Amino acid sequence: MSEIELPTPIEETANPLTSPGRALGRDPFADLSDPDPFEEQLDRLEARRANLAVTQHRARKPVANAATTKRLNVKPATRPKTPGKSAPTAKTTAGTAARTEDDLPNRDNLARLSQRRWSTTPPLADIELPPAKGLADRLLNADERRVLAALAHLVEGDAPYDRFGYSPEAMKTAFPFFHALYRFYFRVQSEGHEHIADEGPVVLAGNHGGLLPFDAAMAIIDVALHTDPPRLVRSVVDRWAGTLPWINIFFARVGQVVGTRENFTKLLNDGQSLLVFPEGIDGMRKTIAHRYRLQNFRVGFIEHALRARAPIVPVAFIGSDDQSPILFDLKPLARKMGIPVAPITPTFPWFGPLGLLPYPVSYRIIYGEPLRYHERFGPDAADDSRLVRYLANQVRRTVQLLIDRHRQ
Amino acid sequence: MTNILVTHADEPIGRRVIKNLYHDPDVEVIFALGSGPPPRKFDAYLAGSDPRVTYTRLDLAKHRPVRDLFHSIPFRSAEIDTAVYVPRHGAGASPAAAPLVGGLSERTAESRLLLQHCLETRTIRNLVAIGSAFVYRLPPGNANHLSEDSELNLDPNVMPEIRAWIDCDMIFHSEVHSERLRVVLLRVPTVVAAGGYVYLHPSLAGRPGSRVRALGFDPICALVSDKDVARAVRAAIKTPVSGIFNIAGGEVVPLSLLARWTGHWSIPVPGPLLGMLDAAERVLGIDSRLGAGGGAQLRYGFTLDTERAAAELGFRPQYRIGLARAGDGALRLETASV
Repeated sequence: MSEIELPTPIEETANPLTSPGRALGRDPFADLSDPDPFEEQLDRLEARRANLAVTQHRARKPVANAATTKRLNVKPATRPKTPGKSAPTAKTTAGTAARTEDDLPNRDNLARLSQRRWSTTPPLADIELPPAKGLADRLLNADERRVLAALAHLVEGDAPYDRFGYSPEAMKTAFPFFHALYRFYFRVQSEGHEHIADEGPVVLAGNHGGLLPFDAAMAIIDVALHTDPPRLVRSVVDRWAGTLPWINIFFARVGQVVGTRENFTKLLNDGQSLLVFPEGIDGMRKTIAHRYRLQNFRVGFIEHALRARAPIVPVAFIGSDDQSPILFDLKPLARKMGIPVAPITPTFPWFGPLGLLPYPVSYRIIYGEPLRYHERFGPDAADDSRLVRYLANQVRRTVQLLIDRHRQ
Repeated sequence: MTNILVTHADEPIGRRVIKNLYHDPDVEVIFALGSGPPPRKFDAYLAGSDPRVTYTRLDLAKHRPVRDLFHSIPFRSAEIDTAVYVPRHGAGASPAAAPLVGGLSERTAESRLLLQHCLETRTIRNLVAIGSAFVYRLPPGNANHLSEDSELNLDPNVMPEIRAWIDCDMIFHSEVHSERLRVVLLRVPTVVAAGGYVYLHPSLAGRPGSRVRALGFDPICALVSDKDVARAVRAAIKTPVSGIFNIAGGEVVPLSLLARWTGHWSIPVPGPLLGMLDAAERVLGIDSRLGAGGGAQLRYGFTLDTERAAAELGFRPQYRIGLARAGDGALRLETASV
């Protein structure tokens, strides 16, 4: 087996395998006596590739069967595997294609495999600057208005909404307000935009902080302003947000989606960019003593990234944990009220709802090098729970190292 | 050549299916069933000494009339090989509290009887059924993408109309892998027809009037044109696959906009009151659709993944839905070919 190096998104001085992150403590896989799941998976892939080569050799030997050759060159129409559900699911009786070489991760056929229908925006140079109308447009300069015009191309034709409820008109209204926050209130500085590909699916995984998700809003503005063609980052929100009156409408109209399996799959298959906070609600309810210490990562985003062959870009948000520092989290009260967090901050609940507003902290957003796990593992690796957990921990460690390095 | 049985042919989608099949050169005989008199549009189809279309009035939810039909000489001589189940959906459909037939809702009884007789009739080899996409469990969110593998809503408190759809869905689903009968179930969302008519939506179907909606929620609704539904039925008849397929058009609109388009005026009601309103309607036996079940469909929206239908049935929507200026100058909901 050829030696394959682990991805090194951080500089050589910070080897993620040997030096545990400051805040993470001990590396959970450092002293395991069991074999490394990463290595195990690579062994399995190598073995499968070798078996397939032998099978093909035998199949081709008797006669040069054109049909066989053709089948090997065509990607079978398979749907992503989904975990079993108790409710009935549909299956078709149409024949399923045999397993082929294309199922194995191979750099040569990755490009062909990833030829899907992208939902992309046109390059900024191709955008005709729309005339400024109203106060909102006058708050933006020409380039920013071009970005906004480009984002309107994400809906098909003249349709007012896309399939996830995104409305270019709503975005046009909200963008100037959040852009003002971005520029003057949070004074966002960012670096590493080159790690976000111009097209194709990508998962941005970052740390979450603050009572209100301004970190996601700032990332959306930042990515849109620093990519060409501009990309609309779809932030994956918790299901709880979908139950909130008006907020659920606002989130949907500006392109955010609830984190269900089907939404994830569809968006990545369409080549869109997703922003996930794998800490979930736990990241939001961190107290001031635990700020910038990442909580356990959920693993769903790894599974979907592997299945959709999407790179994962680690993102560090610095400033979000300072915008509304939580002194205490009254968990029993939160449980009783059916809300995820009942915070006590220096301003909340003393100043009422106004106390939830963020302090004018300075934000820094750092995009790390993409983690291309999909190039090493096939879509089937998403079913290997140990490997998926391992990769989630790798992403967590990478984000933590980015935070630690840039907070100094 | 194909000989086809179509249920509820006197209702709007049924008429559309009959019209589509009538112009198909591969279809020889159409045996249309309906609960009312034949629609006036059928006059041309039924004219002549040996018409291709036969229309029969029948209560499909009752065992004896259905049995008599399937054993009748005209039916046997027609040698029907394909049955198309179009559910009751028109103005006469009783929505929330569907009448009970032997303990089952009307829709459930119909689908059960039809499936049973299709299995017992030797000549019938294919069954294409139109179901509803409102059978899915809706996760919280303004718009959720749902595939055929998404969970069904098995919540015991689901509104009766959706429960009937789920029962119907599961009855057909039980025979999807049958070797005797090829079963295709098409799950369709809100069906829109020219002139602003909306069918199969639990809270918007029926005549224009007042409807309630959940305050602070405006879910996205997937739409499909009735003409596209008829095309999907035709594709399902011709393609030798069985299974469940989502069928949807290209347009999605929020519920409030759809209500406005279709002439309804909606009253926003706070969520907790919706449940109380619905409970009061049930207790008083009112079938006003005012409460509309107070269910998730007023809060959470969905769009459908139609890739399976595109890949295996070759179905892609051809009709766009939107407002267009009618002959009298008024803006009306119309469907137009792309």
